Amino acid sequence: MKKAASVAVLALLLLCLLAAAPPNIAPVKFTDTRLPNGLRVIIAEDHYAPVFSIAVTYNVGARDERPGRTGFAHLFEHMMFKGSERVGPGEHFFLIYNNGGNMNGSTNPDRTNYYETLPKNQLDLGLFLESDRMRSLAITKENLDNQRNAVQEERRLGVDNVAYGQTAEKMLELAYENFAYKHSTIGSMADLNAATVEDVKAFFKTYYAPNNAVLTLAGDLNTADTLARVKKYFGDIPRQAPPPPVDMTEPQQTAEKRARLEDKLARLTRMDIAYKIPPGNTADSRALSMLGGILGGGGGFGGRFAPDQRQRRGGGGPGGVGNSSRLYQKLVREKEAVVSIFAGVGETRGPGLFRITAVVRPGKTPEEVEALIYEEVEKVRNEAVTDEELQRARSGVRRRQVQTREGSLGLAMQLGIDAVYFDDPGRINTETEKRLAVTAADMRRVAQKYLAPANRIVIYTLPAGGGAAKKAAE
Amino acid sequence: MRRLMTSCVAALAALLLLAGAHSAAAQEPEGAARQDSMKGVAPKNLAPVSTEVLRVKMPRPVERKLKNGLRVLVLENHRIPSVSFDLVLPASPLNDPKGLPGVANATATMLTEGTATRNSRQIAEALSSLGASLSISPVAGTGVTNVRASTLVENLDQLLALVADVLLTPAFPQDELERWKARTLASLEQQRSQPAFLGNERLFRVLYPADVRSITEPTPESLKKLARQDLVEFYKAHYRPGGAVLGVTGDVTPEAIVAKLEKHLSAWQGTSGPQPKLPLDPPIAEKKIYLINRPDSVQSYLVLANRAIDRLSPDYPACMVMNRVLGQGPAARLFRNIREDKGFTYGVGSSFLALKYLNHFTASSSVRTEVTGPALDEFLNEFRSIRDKPVPKDELENAKRALVANFALSLENQNTVLGQILALREHGLPDDYWDTYPEKIMAVTAADVERVARKYVPFDNLQVVVVGDGAKIRDLLRKYGPVEEYDTEGRRANPVR
Repeated sequence: MKKAASVAVLALLLLCLLAAAPPNIAPVKFTDTRLPNGLRVIIAEDHYAPVFSIAVTYNVGARDERPGRTGFAHLFEHMMFKGSERVGPGEHFFLIYNNGGNMNGSTNPDRTNYYETLPKNQLDLGLFLESDRMRSLAITKENLDNQRNAVQEERRLGVDNVAYGQTAEKMLELAYENFAYKHSTIGSMADLNAATVEDVKAFFKTYYAPNNAVLTLAGDLNTADTLARVKKYFGDIPRQAPPPPVDMTEPQQTAEKRARLEDKLARLTRMDIAYKIPPGNTADSRALSMLGGILGGGGGFGGRFAPDQRQRRGGGGPGGVGNSSRLYQKLVREKEAVVSIFAGVGETRGPGLFRITAVVRPGKTPEEVEALIYEEVEKVRNEAVTDEELQRARSGVRRRQVQTREGSLGLAMQLGIDAVYFDDPGRINTETEKRLAVTAADMRRVAQKYLAPANRIVIYTLPAGGGAAKKAAE
Repeated sequence: MRRLMTSCVAALAALLLLAGAHSAAAQEPEGAARQDSMKGVAPKNLAPVSTEVLRVKMPRPVERKLKNGLRVLVLENHRIPSVSFDLVLPASPLNDPKGLPGVANATATMLTEGTATRNSRQIAEALSSLGASLSISPVAGTGVTNVRASTLVENLDQLLALVADVLLTPAFPQDELERWKARTLASLEQQRSQPAFLGNERLFRVLYPADVRSITEPTPESLKKLARQDLVEFYKAHYRPGGAVLGVTGDVTPEAIVAKLEKHLSAWQGTSGPQPKLPLDPPIAEKKIYLINRPDSVQSYLVLANRAIDRLSPDYPACMVMNRVLGQGPAARLFRNIREDKGFTYGVGSSFLALKYLNHFTASSSVRTEVTGPALDEFLNEFRSIRDKPVPKDELENAKRALVANFALSLENQNTVLGQILALREHGLPDDYWDTYPEKIMAVTAADVERVARKYVPFDNLQVVVVGDGAKIRDLLRKYGPVEEYDTEGRRANPVR
């Protein structure tokens, strides 16, 4: 009996594997080395185009900030372009762009990264620039004030001067008890104003040490030669004491939380729902991410949008047209209740959120829309998704695996993030199969467990003074 | 795997000598002008920079013609097991019937909302089941509609069957059209909250006042009038293989893909109607400010513009170099001055929209309301400087090197390469255009830069669009020229005095 069962299971497993085999592509090959000063160096050689990318991923983000200093990790990121011992203010981007490259930096709650793509003959330039600022950042009041201005404009551009800008911050504030994720990465104007040169110095010493960073290089490189150069440029940067660990514990939510906001810049009502879920790279978050695709077109591995920052456009799906998700079909097409809708999971190191965002059509109420969304949520909690839906979700996973291989920058960034988040750069070669193994039963189980009323946060953002309806009546 | 051909030919020194000889006459002693142009950056010049400019060769596609007249360009690439298509149809919003903006957009959208054998939901499900993407985008500036599709190569046959179904036998269901209209109306309402949307709407009315280019979106009125028959007629006239080009790139051979295309597209026949003829007018002569009053704004969105060059202008290479100095990217003057030196903004830049049907220059930024005036002053300072002072030699060489060396980066993405090849066809440029482009860039002199700056960077004839809080900026804008005010609905407003 036992044997027969296992044969059947094996046969079933084989069938499943055949139905959802990963695309026939070779795994990403890379070397993974640690220098004596603690810097982790990952090199992925690929001679496809005469180009390479560098990503330096620092193990620091908004989650490391303390009360009164929100926005600091990101403000610090800007300081990294204002010069170091052998690089003048602004010279970093001046040199990269003038030699045909592209570059940038980005900060989210979980990490800060700096990256550039350059023609292959500029390897020394890239390594010199990244190593000099890791070794000897120029920290002055003048540079700080200057970038404080730029960052405050960035906040106005992304939050204060746009419709629904305040909503994302309110969601974090409501969703989390732990300060680490309770605040936005961009930070408050008051906290940005309060940041001092001493803060910058201490932050640099604690977090911008080689033992707290991963250097990734991908593209048209020779691994041995590249590693030798990395040692030359980075090898003498001193190790620092390890940064304090971040407490990410989050109490279990026991009752629904709600808020209503008025937004002077909005013209239509938006509703945001979030359910609290486990961290990324776990079996449950993987199943929730796959379910997000089936329910609302989002999610998926490598989804890099931070929980507080990026607004996904609703109704998008990966390809412009053809959104087969349940919420799109029901609320956008059938009921014509929303302009757009999105559901999905952003991958986080700490407790995550399963988000649903919808812009309500004129003439419809957020209450109606909320009820329609819950009908669909209850369906995935009570019934298994169909075989066709599972197959479509798997096709998306396979497609994305292929897409991550195009371009040295995406590859360098992904390797660095997986190393910093999960100590597993090889995840790029293993995550696809784990996702393909998620079953309908897994999805129903996680829907039952996490998409529960007591575990959700709901925000209505309404146009102040009646918005569109009032304007149209004028 | 085919490795892309590369060569580290022309040493930078040689190129610089060549270019330097051309521009020597225009150089001036590097004094005040140089300091001016280095705002926001203080180089120490200690970094190890390779003096070679990596020169790359663009791959050439294999060209075929299907029996129905469709031209096919195939760029074989076996790096990853996927395949992408970009079908370029000579149809765009420029072909919308008079008084009916939205027909081109509606036609494109409705293709995937129902065919003879599949309804909207079935098309969406088929696409996601193949892990495929499909987008159909009409673009006014180039006068074409791009039908882009891609999938894993193992699903190629199914994707082609689906795309052929969508392209050849669309049903234009009435109920789906009504849904599209309602959806579009609601999203237009939402877009009116965005400064960039409001600014763009006004900009196109200002720069292209006399024809179809002035309308950037369907209007509530046109959505009401638009009927199924308009879409059917548009489709019949413009979605034809003759006159269209199909670019293919990925894990296929020309022979195999042509055979598949013949099979799936043989029933598709006919030739598209002609593209419209629209004038490319010279710059507007009179200075004017357009204020869109968006109450409660905390930033002003500024666009400084005028008509300039189209893609075929002989001044194109010189304009690219000039703009790299002035406003393209963080190494350019506008960014270094207005963001890095002044801290007025998060981002600022300028660009030429040099297409077949659009020919304008814009510089833009979002700045906090309080510095609206000072930011405009800095734009004007930079415009005056690039028009009146010769570009210092090292700045010019940096800009040229940046443009040429950056070319290597585009080779990483096959779809980018395909797009560059298709652009040549759309504009009627020669096949070897990209091979000779670096020489054209390197030949640009400081005198050329000054000449095109004077000609195309507006100053006395500035057109400025400002989206911001009228109550706070209305009065100060009058200093820059006569102000015409609008509300967020796009209606002319009478400013409160």
